[in-house]
Amino acid sequence: MAVIELDRLEVRLGGRPVLNSLSGSLSGKAIGLLGPNGSGKSTLINTLLGFHPPAAGTARVFQLDVHEQSREIRTQVGYMPENDSFIGNMSGIHFVRYMAELAGIPAPEALERAHEAMFYVGLGEVRYRQISTYSLGMKQLVKLAQALVHGPRLLILDEPTNGLDPVARQRMIQLIRDVRDSGHTQLLISSHLLRDIDETCDEVLILKAGKIASICNLEEERRANRRFIELETVAAGEPFGAAVRSLGCECASFPGGRWKLVMPDSVEIRDLYKIAAEQGIQIRRMNYRRDSLEDIFLTAMDSKLGVARVGV
Amino acid sequence: MSVFKRNYRPYIGQPTSRATRFGVLMRYSVADVWSSRITVVLFVLCQIPTLIMAAAIYIMNNDTVKLLIAAQGGGTPNFTINERYFFVALQGQCWLALVLTAWIGPRLVAVDLSNNALPTILSHPISRLEYVLAKFAVMASFISAVTWVPVLLLFSMQSYLSPTTWAFAHLHIAYGALLGCFIWIILLSLVALAVSSWVRWRIVATAMVFATIFVPAGMGGVFNQVMRTNWGTLINIPSMMFTLWYRLLHVDLPRFSTRNDLPTFAMLVALTAICSACAFALNARIRAREVVRG
Repeated sequence: MAVIELDRLEVRLGGRPVLNSLSGSLSGKAIGLLGPNGSGKSTLINTLLGFHPPAAGTARVFQLDVHEQSREIRTQVGYMPENDSFIGNMSGIHFVRYMAELAGIPAPEALERAHEAMFYVGLGEVRYRQISTYSLGMKQLVKLAQALVHGPRLLILDEPTNGLDPVARQRMIQLIRDVRDSGHTQLLISSHLLRDIDETCDEVLILKAGKIASICNLEEERRANRRFIELETVAAGEPFGAAVRSLGCECASFPGGRWKLVMPDSVEIRDLYKIAAEQGIQIRRMNYRRDSLEDIFLTAMDSKLGVARVGV
Repeated sequence: MSVFKRNYRPYIGQPTSRATRFGVLMRYSVADVWSSRITVVLFVLCQIPTLIMAAAIYIMNNDTVKLLIAAQGGGTPNFTINERYFFVALQGQCWLALVLTAWIGPRLVAVDLSNNALPTILSHPISRLEYVLAKFAVMASFISAVTWVPVLLLFSMQSYLSPTTWAFAHLHIAYGALLGCFIWIILLSLVALAVSSWVRWRIVATAMVFATIFVPAGMGGVFNQVMRTNWGTLINIPSMMFTLWYRLLHVDLPRFSTRNDLPTFAMLVALTAICSACAFALNARIRAREVVRG
């Protein structure tokens, strides 16, 4: 089932169109939301949460209309805002419990889950401290704890690694992966950092100037990349090509002993090494094609606007 | 999940009802207000006049106590429990309520705005209207506890201690006090919430609540003097409330009769306009802060 469906969605703020005719369907376990500043990422998130009414078109989250059924959507969503967003004079545990109760969890269970969530994100030892005394990394984690304390079906994270040092960032990424792999919760992650998206997401929506520049299934991209290989060899001639073709690979040779192969799923890398060993050929370099998220993003930014669906 | 396992799991129980979530906002706000010792001190101080006036009612309805006071040389207490008595009680309690409001009002909304907590709070199944209503309900409950509740308790006490006919003959006091307090509660709550939503610093917000009530009063007085009219009183909240209260309680106060010249309807329209302006300002502020703009 699609997590997010957009149908010619248009959102205007102050009479100015911020999101313009967005259409598409996203169903990944973890969906990345990319785009330069002012491209409409936060506006899209706010629209999905029901804060901004669509001027035209519709958007649906779990098949619920964002305008008509925003309350039902918010019941199933956990939201971690980009900026500081907490009650500074509350302790971490008190704040997370408050948010759990607002999400609809009865008070006793809310307290229990608040303790669990604080331990889960690694703030168990400081859960009775006032949030205003937390470091930046702790504040990010307490925002994550309040977002997932009620076990939402969709977790919306807006710049989750903002301002974190490398260790804290790695911890945040690992937590996001854990939540993703738990299978209970799908994620929508907005970030400027392509690496964060690359490490956590399997689908990405790229926005540019309020329009969809690309919707890309990263998982299929990665799978396709694994089958495209570049080789640099010494003394590999036509017999090597024939042997490789006999395995079912498509290949082409280039000057300097370079080869490009597309391998079927049944062929493994070690089959190439076997052929090379049998024919006394040195394989000096082997590269997977790296059509990285950065390439996809830059291509989307360079392209004329219009939905480019990559790997879907 | 158990704490020691540190795993992630969804919630599979039944969610609470919509009304319960409204109650959650109220409960946490009330707890935050009571967490200050100053609130406790102010609340107790606000109840002291009621205790004194209750003692006076007891004395005036008890001949034995009156004789004892007279026997000890204190003279015979010589005043009657009537509209004017309750008018004094109502006025005193309402102005004390202003002090309490100026302290607790800024705690309610400013605390959510100071660290930008609104986007997180309102991303839950709570609407902006429910949020404001919950804060309003907290304000109203605190002001009620020091205005109409003690005044009606005094009225009940007097009704109980005096002959039955007194209560029936003075029911307009109860109605008037109730209505007068409701107007004051709505006005004070909206002023306090609007001010606290716009002013981040609590002390400044407290001062602003007083200023919102008293500064226009001075401006209205100047307007009246310059223009030789009484219509400037329409921005003089203390004067309007004073007039409304004694009219509602049917108090016969000849020495205040000069203030009794503006039509009640005009004063109600002016108060409604002030309340509407506060509600508009509050809504504008909350709406602007409910989302993180990117």
